[in-house]
Amino acid sequence: MLDRRDFIKAQAVAAAAAAGGVSLPAMAQTSMIAGEDAQLKWSKAPCRFCGTGCGVMVATKDNRVVATHGDMQAEVNRGLNCVKGYFLSKIMYGQDRLTQPLLRMKDGKYHKDGEFLPVTWDQAFDEMARQWKRVLKDKGPDAVGMFGSGQWTIWEGYAASKLMRAGFRTNNLDPNARHCMASAAVAFIRTFGMDEPMGCYDDFEHADAFVLWGSNMAEMHPILWTRISDRRLAHNHVKIAVLSTFEHRSFELADIPMIFEPGTDLAILNFIANHIIKTGRVNREFVEKHCSFRLGQKDIGYGLRPENVLEVRAANAKDPTDSKPMSFDEFATFVSDYTVDKVAELSKVPKERLLALAELYADPKTKVMSLWTMGFNQHVRGVWVNHMVYNIHLLTGKISEPGNSPFSLTGQPSACGTAREVGTFAHRLPADMQVNNPVHRSHVEEGWKIPKGLLPGKIGYHAVLMDRMLKDGKLNAFWIMVNNNLQAAPNTNTETYPGYRNPDNFIVVSDAYPTVTASAADLILPAAMWVEKEGAYGNAERRTHFWHQLVTAPGEARSDLWQLMEFSKRFTTDEVWPKEILDTNPEFRGKTLFDVLYRNGNVDRFPLSEIDPEYENRESKAFGFYVQKGLFEEYASFGRGHGHDLAPFDRYHQERGLRWPVVDGKETRWRYREGYDPFVKEGEGVKFYGNPDGKANVFAFPYEPPAESPDKDFDLWLVTGRVLEHWHSGSMTMRVPELYKAMPMAMVFMHPDDAKDRGLRRGSEVKVVSRRGEIHTRVETRGRNRPPRGVVFVPWFDSARLINKVTLDATDPISKQTDFKKCAVKIVAA
Amino acid sequence: MLPDSKPAEWHIASILVHLRPERRDDVRAAVAAMPGVEIHADEAGKMIVTVEAPDEGRIADRMTAMHLLDGVMSAVLVFHHVEPAGGEAEEAIGSTGT
Repeated sequence: MLDRRDFIKAQAVAAAAAAGGVSLPAMAQTSMIAGEDAQLKWSKAPCRFCGTGCGVMVATKDNRVVATHGDMQAEVNRGLNCVKGYFLSKIMYGQDRLTQPLLRMKDGKYHKDGEFLPVTWDQAFDEMARQWKRVLKDKGPDAVGMFGSGQWTIWEGYAASKLMRAGFRTNNLDPNARHCMASAAVAFIRTFGMDEPMGCYDDFEHADAFVLWGSNMAEMHPILWTRISDRRLAHNHVKIAVLSTFEHRSFELADIPMIFEPGTDLAILNFIANHIIKTGRVNREFVEKHCSFRLGQKDIGYGLRPENVLEVRAANAKDPTDSKPMSFDEFATFVSDYTVDKVAELSKVPKERLLALAELYADPKTKVMSLWTMGFNQHVRGVWVNHMVYNIHLLTGKISEPGNSPFSLTGQPSACGTAREVGTFAHRLPADMQVNNPVHRSHVEEGWKIPKGLLPGKIGYHAVLMDRMLKDGKLNAFWIMVNNNLQAAPNTNTETYPGYRNPDNFIVVSDAYPTVTASAADLILPAAMWVEKEGAYGNAERRTHFWHQLVTAPGEARSDLWQLMEFSKRFTTDEVWPKEILDTNPEFRGKTLFDVLYRNGNVDRFPLSEIDPEYENRESKAFGFYVQKGLFEEYASFGRGHGHDLAPFDRYHQERGLRWPVVDGKETRWRYREGYDPFVKEGEGVKFYGNPDGKANVFAFPYEPPAESPDKDFDLWLVTGRVLEHWHSGSMTMRVPELYKAMPMAMVFMHPDDAKDRGLRRGSEVKVVSRRGEIHTRVETRGRNRPPRGVVFVPWFDSARLINKVTLDATDPISKQTDFKKCAVKIVAA
Repeated sequence: MLPDSKPAEWHIASILVHLRPERRDDVRAAVAAMPGVEIHADEAGKMIVTVEAPDEGRIADRMTAMHLLDGVMSAVLVFHHVEPAGGEAEEAIGSTGT
């Protein structure tokens, strides 16, 4: 007979074998038992970290999360968990968790140079409202702003959008997803007329080839990487190409490894298009029926301040988005310059590898999945490079069917759900609508039951511009939620920090932990996180998934949703709306923003009795109606009927997520193709219905160099990014002792010969210096990241070594997303 | 979660490792040499491994070390269970059961 430990071990082995599809000797196969689990309450929730959207089971006991494990029923991860997911249960219990509002005070009242002292929520909101009203009165709506996140739940982002746009009448609302995927989102809209991927994770099990464009999935998306590994191991013909500016863990699986010179991915993609055309492998029928060709604007600058010499010198910095129609033949001529010889020389990738890569796309029998994240998106030509990958999928018709899939991965759990679908960007409204389109605004005004003409049409400040405007004193009341912008923003010492400490400005940070951003604020509001509230996220494959509140937040910590709605009670329409609007709509007079935004007959439509009695719901209890359901249903009404369809609210609490559009109760795995997508009618075959003509756009763009390249003074490329153990700025993972110990500090990864040339070696203390700033750290010449000569890599999780003091605030001029992957530095002994 | 006088615990986790089949022998040797690690099955580039340790930090370390081994494509966690080191399951605080 087995003893207890053997029995548990057998259970562990059986679970892993089932998850991995490995067969075991009969002896080891035992059935699962619950036993002691009976004491614990297990509930489902999506992981709170990256955009993969893994399902986890969460065990609670005595109002505390005590364990988590991968959810076997979740299609995304099928019971698997990466190391970050493993420690999910600990992220809420860091010792320095914020539990009460903290205001900078001197002599018993607010003072910009005061010390942080605990205050009540009433005191906090009183001061905050006073500051907001001062700024609104002196400067108007354009001087207030909010910086949110792809970590907001769907209803938090939606409530914020209503408060800013309809309440304070400004579009100065942007999410940190701007730093993360704005380029992807903009290119989707420009190509297909609709945001987000046409395919889904099921493509992993259908593709014959995978091409990683800059993405290090082995470390950043480990669970998806196991799906690719599985496919590769089970099918000998499957090929994997990995492109990067330095060698990393994903190269372990690469059949075609490629290290390219930073920025030359543009040229490589044009070469592939040229190769497809020159070798006669264009899918002519597909292209004629489903594609339009356009010549894009070139020489568009680098999104720096307008007085920067690079902007003055750029011919088209003022109208970077322009384009004009062209023919297929003109497109073919345009890319014909990109020969294998020329591109091999520019990119430093050997010719044979470029040709092998191009063949994966050109060969009509190979189903190919392209994958990318920040390598493409954080790029001064991020929109272009996204377009260019669609170009090669469109030229070959390899799109919108199982295994043929250009797939934009995401970095945050709800970058798609909250930032993009809800529309928390400075230019967007729900369901892909735009703030500068009067028809869209009017539609939203009807849906929100607010006066006609109330919504502002001017696009608000984007992330980097917000920092510049804070510094310049034009944005004065600023609320930051669920993100660590002072650590995340580029060139942070010169462009971000001064704005936070500008005496004209009042900065509020809502967070669970005292991040560097919170420390630079004037008021810190303690936030509830993850399963301390009912939530919803949308992952990279259009999957919307929900969770219940499972525990209560510590101390006075409250969810962002509660904070937004409670704050709205401090303003009346008379204080913030123009007189003319109230004169023509007198029924809105004297009401609070809470009344007009959240007690509008939609949001307050569902009574508390509809809440699952098994679960607590603090916000709903506080406001007296089922807040999350009301917000979700009002929001979902904008998307239903035209391809953004979401299921009814309650269904999501039953499912492990559903991929929109959800029509007649069924999710959609591949969009734009008959038989898979209910919006494509019989006989249409393929239809890119996001565009009025039903066609996708192929754009011609040239290769253009990065904003800053190495020279004799600053002789190395700096690339920044993440590591396996830490997620983004590390504000949660650095507080898990086990993860902290595994990777305690950000080192500079460099080639051993580059180190030797500078009289350095592994472990040497050095300064990484750019024209903007410097950090102290140590040299790593071995290990997981191996840059070629001339390139160094520094991860950005470490708040003690803020690499963003060094980076350049150059952005893609179209998407306004920062390029964190290319600037020039030198490394000197410290 | 981590009281000061933490009672002795026994943690066990199972990990699914994907590896290059041609590197199987090297990977097997490296994994088998890790303390507390046992290999249970191994076929077509996949390996089922258990890790036993007195705390979850040690388990995470092993998992990360495996993930970063040459020849390994990924190492992910499937199952984790904790109980008092005495062996009686008075208060198990984490196990999989679905």
